[in-house]
Amino acid sequence: MWQNSKPYWLVLPTVSVIVILFFGGLVEGLAHSLGYFPAAGQLDFSTRAYHKLLSSKDFWLSLWLTLRISFLATLFSGILGMGISLFFLRNQQRKSRIGLWLQGLMNLPLVIPHFVGAYIIVLMFMQSGYLARILYGFGLIQQFEAFPVLTNDPRGWGIILAYTWKEAPFIALMIYPVLKNIYSNWLEVAKVYGAKPWQFFIEVVVPLLLPAWTSSCFIVFDFTFSAFEVPYLLGITYPQMLPVLSYTLYTNGGWERMPEAMAINVVLTLITALLGIMAYKLSRRWGMPGGKS
Amino acid sequence: MRKVTTPVITIIVIAICLFLAGCSQAQNKSDPAATATSTDLLKANWDEVASQAKGQTVNMYMWGGSESINRYMDEWVAPRLKEDYEVTLQRVPVNDINDTINKLLAEKQVNKKEGSVDLIWINGENFKNAKEQDLLWGSFDKQLPNFNQYIDANAPDIKDDFGLPTEGLEAPWGKAQFVFIYDSNKIKTPPTSMAQLADWVKQNPGKFTYPAPPDFTGSAFIRQALYETTGGYQQYMKPLDSDSLTPKLSPLWNYLNSMETSLWREGKTYPESLAKLDQLYANGEVWMTMGYDPARASNEIKKGTFPASTRTFVLEAGTLANTHYLSIPFNSTHQAGAMVAINFMLSPEAQIAKFDPLNWGEDMSLDLQKLSPEDQKLVSEIDRGIATLPAGELASHRLPELPSAYVDVLDNGWLEYVAK
Repeated sequence: MWQNSKPYWLVLPTVSVIVILFFGGLVEGLAHSLGYFPAAGQLDFSTRAYHKLLSSKDFWLSLWLTLRISFLATLFSGILGMGISLFFLRNQQRKSRIGLWLQGLMNLPLVIPHFVGAYIIVLMFMQSGYLARILYGFGLIQQFEAFPVLTNDPRGWGIILAYTWKEAPFIALMIYPVLKNIYSNWLEVAKVYGAKPWQFFIEVVVPLLLPAWTSSCFIVFDFTFSAFEVPYLLGITYPQMLPVLSYTLYTNGGWERMPEAMAINVVLTLITALLGIMAYKLSRRWGMPGGKS
Repeated sequence: MRKVTTPVITIIVIAICLFLAGCSQAQNKSDPAATATSTDLLKANWDEVASQAKGQTVNMYMWGGSESINRYMDEWVAPRLKEDYEVTLQRVPVNDINDTINKLLAEKQVNKKEGSVDLIWINGENFKNAKEQDLLWGSFDKQLPNFNQYIDANAPDIKDDFGLPTEGLEAPWGKAQFVFIYDSNKIKTPPTSMAQLADWVKQNPGKFTYPAPPDFTGSAFIRQALYETTGGYQQYMKPLDSDSLTPKLSPLWNYLNSMETSLWREGKTYPESLAKLDQLYANGEVWMTMGYDPARASNEIKKGTFPASTRTFVLEAGTLANTHYLSIPFNSTHQAGAMVAINFMLSPEAQIAKFDPLNWGEDMSLDLQKLSPEDQKLVSEIDRGIATLPAGELASHRLPELPSAYVDVLDNGWLEYVAK
């Protein structure tokens, strides 16, 4: 009996924390989005907040902006992360001192909080930032206005830049073990069959790496989709990314607009969950080479 | 290994269960006691309050965006409070006190009787929200000796907070006034009205912007614009009627939209906070900033963030002024300590130190006439910094704040008509 139930007992502490904190918060947020708000004396449920949200132009503009920025940020960090990972691999084979030093430098963004990272981007890339001042100092630009608008820009490049810088090392770290395995297990075989390095990369590495790469990309996408601090610091006043819009509604609209803010959070959660399920399904299919079962 | 882990985990699980059970029990038990003492405290005499406060640690939630204010609290107020009254003041910096009000609301919702917030620094809209939702403890100001002795409780700018009666739920800590900050090397004659400001902006495209409301300062800027563009403040001192208000506002939106394309980044985006605007000003990207603190510019010059040529100006028709307050939340666990701390911060000693630009440089909430002659002399001898306007000039250019009910309407209107 104990032997059978043991695994369940072992995960109980973790599960209870998840259930209480995560699902508790989720249920609370859902109830609030449906207008249930005992502190303000509102006890009935309604879908008014959702109606209002889904019929407002702001929401759709923000959703589109959020999807666009998250997609681009994920794409760039995915590609860059793969590059960094390959660099790590090469480093591992050669063990040059500069290479190791560079590797440490590339890992640096991992230990910097998003908030700080975003602020670094602001200080570096604003029109009167460090970079602009250096260029100005060298006489490469005549005035600050000549420096391109890279932070708080309408297309969100500042946010994309910050996320790419921050998430690429994360993806690199996630796929590095897989990459290392592929090279140590398959490289010799491929060579025996006469594959050139680039052929090996395209025909062997990419297909084998894809599951790990896509799932880490999905993690990045989900994060950039629902995180607040980077778009708050680097975004523009209108339209805002969804998490920032939610914050604005929650803090600025008075008590009566809070359900809308919560409804945004529920929508964010739903989309993220949906993507999570998709990622899981995809990785399962790719996880079985040849699709045997 | 396996044999060891199983019991250990079982113990952990049991411990967690016991802990959770214990928490809820502890809370249940202490409820009656906590409420009993807190109502007694509102009637207790001051000696009782002071003796109960001894040894308490008071968590003060306050906007943490100003280094000089933080230093005043940490290096001037806290040590003296500790030494003279044995009350430890722990400053908890927040970006926007609204977040704390929301936290209190959430605590109220789950019926949390023992909150971590003992003292908050609020006014205006936040006070209105807190008062409406019963998030504040009770009427305590008449118990504070310094309140009774030094404050003119009947002055309109003390009695009402943005048009809303304080009813003793909060005690006045200081007064602030809106000023514009500019670089006198780049602007020879600063504008004296909003109309002139708009002209200046159009002649100097890209050199002016304001923080996006609901940022506190940005929100104040549009209220400032409202008064001039719609014909004075008197009409807004009556209670809100949103049907008659909305048509009145269109000159304001026209005004703000007319200067939009000449703003920084052509008005496509606005700084999300005053800190960002200050940074733009310090870097020379814009030539003006602003703030609800007449002495801030002098402070920033001293710190080296703003250029030495920085000066301030008020408009001929006057600028917004308000009073800000200290209050105690409904579920504070150290109400006695909070009362002692507030009383201390209202003492002439603490207020004069606060008035000194070496510490903070902000106007006192005390009535100057009620101070002793020595204290009055002290006040008149303080040099408030090169960029700070003389107290008399500030005082003669004060306009009352709008009732806070208008603030939300304006902030949302701005998002609707200007930001989009």
